[in-house]
Amino acid sequence: MATALKAAVIGTGVISKEHLSFLNTSERSQLVAVCDLSKVSAQYAAQRYQAQATFADYRQMLNEVKPDVVHILTPPHTHKWIAKDCLEAGAHVICEKPITPTYEEFKELWAIAQSCDRYLIEDHNYRYNEPILAIEKLVADGTLGDVQEVEVRMALNIRSGGAFADENIPNPVHKLPAGVIHDVITHLVYLTLRFLPVEFDRISAAWSNHGGGTLFKYDDLDAVLVGGAKHARIRFSAHTLPECFDVIVRGSRGYAQTDLFQPYLRCVVPRKAGKQLSPLVNHYINGSDLVKASIGNFSRKIMQRTPYEGLQRLLDITYAALQSGNPPPITFEDMDRTSRLVEALLAEDNRV
Amino acid sequence: MKLLVTGASGFLGQYVVVEALRRGHQVRAVVRPSGDVTRYSWHDHPAVEFARVDLRRRDGLADAVQGVDAVIHLAAAKAGDFYTQFAGTVMATENLLDAMIERNVLRLVAISTFSVYDYVSMPNGTLVTENAPIESHPLERDEYAQTKLLQEQLVRDFEKTHNASVTVIRPGMVYGRDYLWNACLGAELTDTLWLRIGARATMPMTYVENCAEAIVLAVEKDAAIAQILNVVDDNLPTQRDFAKKLLKQMTVPAKLIPVNWTLMNSFTWVLLYYNRIFLKGKAKFPGIFVPAKLQARFKPLQYTNAHAKAVLEWTPKYSLDEAFERSNSNLDLLTVTPQDSPVPV
Repeated sequence: MATALKAAVIGTGVISKEHLSFLNTSERSQLVAVCDLSKVSAQYAAQRYQAQATFADYRQMLNEVKPDVVHILTPPHTHKWIAKDCLEAGAHVICEKPITPTYEEFKELWAIAQSCDRYLIEDHNYRYNEPILAIEKLVADGTLGDVQEVEVRMALNIRSGGAFADENIPNPVHKLPAGVIHDVITHLVYLTLRFLPVEFDRISAAWSNHGGGTLFKYDDLDAVLVGGAKHARIRFSAHTLPECFDVIVRGSRGYAQTDLFQPYLRCVVPRKAGKQLSPLVNHYINGSDLVKASIGNFSRKIMQRTPYEGLQRLLDITYAALQSGNPPPITFEDMDRTSRLVEALLAEDNRV
Repeated sequence: MKLLVTGASGFLGQYVVVEALRRGHQVRAVVRPSGDVTRYSWHDHPAVEFARVDLRRRDGLADAVQGVDAVIHLAAAKAGDFYTQFAGTVMATENLLDAMIERNVLRLVAISTFSVYDYVSMPNGTLVTENAPIESHPLERDEYAQTKLLQEQLVRDFEKTHNASVTVIRPGMVYGRDYLWNACLGAELTDTLWLRIGARATMPMTYVENCAEAIVLAVEKDAAIAQILNVVDDNLPTQRDFAKKLLKQMTVPAKLIPVNWTLMNSFTWVLLYYNRIFLKGKAKFPGIFVPAKLQARFKPLQYTNAHAKAVLEWTPKYSLDEAFERSNSNLDLLTVTPQDSPVPV
């Protein structure tokens, strides 16, 4: 095993649990410091996940512990300047999504990373969830045929409670170009692009605030994207239940479907039984898989396996790459295309 | 005295504000910026002013603290995931204490909870006093206990580092109008179907008006400084007694499914060892299937308010029967007119 990389975390809010639990247990990393403006929050994180030091000032942390990798888990509007300082201090940066509020800022940050010869990595965690990896395999081995359509749909009940509905301390993401949807749109877009890596020449995006009021800029997105003969639909809803994160990939031979919040895999393809019996075989196999998934999901709940399982996998692969001097799995192209497509969805010309 | 009351819009907080006004204090009530203060019958009392701040943020806190003689800190988050409760309880307390230090306000009555005690280490029948052991394995407890333990530690550090005058009140289970059901009974499966775990355990209840009086007395009495005070009522009910009272006041009484305490407790230990041995301790079961959480709610223990009574020269005013009568009456329990109050001191 190569020498463990010195890792530091800036921001100890809710997502830090997922990063810190990896850093606490991985042999690829050594958690040297955590940093938060709240002293008690940093102290708690350090004690819980065995970090060696705590800081309230990240610049002081960079100077004193000289980390190899910094995880930036602060609100999105702070990412750019913190990441810049980390890169210039010689650390690779793993940054929560969205890496920057705009494509322009992403390009500036990438240029800084290039000039510092450091890697900049945005968290594209759901790409590494088991059902997504399983669909990738179905695409790769030709089971689905040529991918023609992708639909990514997230429903979150963000209007009736929780951090985004809190009027006393409005969440900083409300100020992002897409409002609270900006907090999740990175996931919707990189999953779309994962299965349809094309340039979309026609985009039609309906941004709405169905719930009204001034706190939320938007609470609904319905976007249709067309690139040549390929179609995609990106959907966010705050008004339909249950909460879900559906991904459907349709190919020229069949389709695969999952919900990343309640994982299962449904695959409808031609079966060996022939054209007439394939629908029956698909129903039988998928029904059986759904029953197994319900048992599996009960077990996942008890065993505290969350939809963040992909993050642990992504971090492990990323650290392995950084240790061996190889490029990390999330590439410039991945981030560039994602950030550019988010920008295109928000463009005035593409709105309906 | 001029008092800052955090959590003034909460269940206990409203009664504390009213008690403080009745006893002639001036109250600066901390309410969240979006809160509608006109829903409190005491909102236009001449001895009340509001500080519209959110303790999870530092903005405006120092000004809110400025010029008060003491702080009664009730604000806490009782629901949500760990990080929600951490922000609403621990970070809120950190911000409040920083503001108090900045403005040199060093008298604090901090409201903690019975949840901080280590119930697993106490044998059945133990008398729970202020010297009972504090939970040493917080991760085995719920988010509320974890965050209240961290909050108490912050308060202790504040007391020690700044030579502050601190009283820590640990109320038992606070009950009153609209809050008669209690988690120490069991679980509400539906509105009319309850699981009752155990029957003979004493419940550490404190009626909200009794508790509010003890809290205001604590801020008035110098003898309460540097003290920890457990606050429960006299003549505490058993689970069976309390359930009977609850059922009696229901128009359609709920059905009870009784579960034997010893059986339930034994089952949680079996699950605990199964988890440790076969699941590497990674499983997380619902609270009533975890020994530390189950025992914190249902273990047969004894409770005392002797220290609080002696220090505060206090006697809980209302018995269990009177508390239920008041809770179910049409009396406006939260009205205080200026005529009721002596001139603020």
